[in-house]
Amino acid sequence: MNHLGQIVFNGLITGLLIALPALALSLTFSVLRFANFAIGSLLTVGAYAVYGFNVGLGLPLPVAVACGCAVSVAVVLLVNEAVHRPLRRRSSLMQLVASMGVALVMENAVRLAAGSAPAAYAVEVARPLRFWGLRVNHEQGIIALAVVALLLLVAVLYRATRWGRAMRAIADNPDLAGVRGIPYDRTVRLVWALSAIVATVAGTLIGLDATLNPLMGSNYVLVVFAAAILGGIASPLAAVAGAIALGVVEELSTLVVAPHYRSILAYCVMTLLLLLRPSGLFGTRWVKK
Amino acid sequence: MSLYLTSTLVLVILSAITGLALNLQWGLGGLINFGLFGFYMLAAYATGLLAHAGVPPLLAMAAALALTALLSALVSQVAIRLSEDYLAIVTLGFAECLRILVTNEEWLTRGVMGLAGIARPFQGAFGGKAADLVFLAFSVVCLLLVFGVYQLIAHSPLGRTLRGIRDDPQVVETLGKHVQRIRWKTFALGGAMVGVAGSLHAFYYSYIDPTQFTTIITAYAFVAVLMGGRGSAPGVLLSSFSVILLLEGSRFLNDQLGFMDAAQLACLRLMLVGLLIVLIVRFKPQGFVTEHRLKVGASPAGAEPV
Repeated sequence: MNHLGQIVFNGLITGLLIALPALALSLTFSVLRFANFAIGSLLTVGAYAVYGFNVGLGLPLPVAVACGCAVSVAVVLLVNEAVHRPLRRRSSLMQLVASMGVALVMENAVRLAAGSAPAAYAVEVARPLRFWGLRVNHEQGIIALAVVALLLLVAVLYRATRWGRAMRAIADNPDLAGVRGIPYDRTVRLVWALSAIVATVAGTLIGLDATLNPLMGSNYVLVVFAAAILGGIASPLAAVAGAIALGVVEELSTLVVAPHYRSILAYCVMTLLLLLRPSGLFGTRWVKK
Repeated sequence: MSLYLTSTLVLVILSAITGLALNLQWGLGGLINFGLFGFYMLAAYATGLLAHAGVPPLLAMAAALALTALLSALVSQVAIRLSEDYLAIVTLGFAECLRILVTNEEWLTRGVMGLAGIARPFQGAFGGKAADLVFLAFSVVCLLLVFGVYQLIAHSPLGRTLRGIRDDPQVVETLGKHVQRIRWKTFALGGAMVGVAGSLHAFYYSYIDPTQFTTIITAYAFVAVLMGGRGSAPGVLLSSFSVILLLEGSRFLNDQLGFMDAAQLACLRLMLVGLLIVLIVRFKPQGFVTEHRLKVGASPAGAEPV
């Protein structure tokens, strides 16, 4: 029984790790109306920026995360100005293809700068804690706290502030939002910045959980999309629920199939859902052409 | 030098065939395929495994094409009813899963060890130095065949219907066309064309392992299609032969200069490909060669490509 409890707990942690990028993906999807394939590379850029401040300059990790967020926000705002804002009037397909180009540039810039070898943050190794027979790594504790705190923050921002209302209005109907005087460009920049911060924190936590490598982000792309589609890609908070569900299912599946087939499982879940209920388990919007 | 020339030419021909396939699926039909390298890999492995089982090379190639077409049809079924973004992730997911399977199912694919000694077609008839040239000629014939099939479709009523579906599926549907059926058939035919390239890849290298099949295959195809102009086959041929030749040529340039190692150069090349994609989408979305259109009356002024 305790063994099963441990698996479910690990699954929750896996789910929380996927939840942040899934949230970033569906935030940009719902407001900007295209699937941002650069989400994985953004995660990598953020994680490595934090690595630069943490290991390169010797800053403590929380300070390094703040600096890393600043770098990744600057990067996405630049990408928005140079690529996505001028393409706003064009089809979502062209935006999608452009985001693939952006992803290639970002990922390989990291690879060129940092090399392909795995790296790790400068943190002290601590003994796992035990609660009621559950083994909790230090990193898992940090992951749980950080993700839950950030999710709550984004949820409050999205549900209860002017900015969040502006995002929801544009997601709902950009023209109507414009007529009502909601500033489009500023809100879009805010969404980009928010997704960069969320992706950077996610990258850092994934780096803490395992190691950093330049492909860490693109390895997550499939799972993140599967999670977002499972929850409902057009509704950010539903995407989080999808991520946690997928994390638990993935960990439970390791009882039956080999661990390297987890991505395939995520793909099968996504395929089934697209055939049966494309708007997602918790989403309400039907994303048909 | 002639060895460099033939190997670069074969690489460019492979990219050109893949580019034409993507041009059929995406350029003409509006069906995006981010998992191009997966279908390419599928064909390469099917060819390799069948050749190992003693099937004659040309027969193995035919079977690989059929398999790739079938799987393309199946994969497209999942997402063609939905908006384009879904097809992009479904195809990419397929490719990733296939790579995981091929890497791990060692009983079938020998995993990272790879498959060696894949026999080429017409290998027995010509030996020695002529072998590479014969294979080059065979590749050229394949390219011409794919090009011919593409042009046949693009200039036929089916081609017009496809462009119609790409630009506005609802209008075509009101004309009584079966949009979904035409879509998956197009995707399957494009898949078979990718299969041609994948099979040739397996023959040419005669050794395949999972690391040979990466997103760069997809990225090259996108550059070829974007640069050549969506829908235009001569444009895709031209861009493959100029751009991909330059990009692949940089592989050999390094031997002379030697200030970067191979991994760094690969990074730089991919960055350049990504930058090219962004720049073309941003500044030259219709590409450098416009697609063939029947001229009927006045064309609407200011019609912008989407």
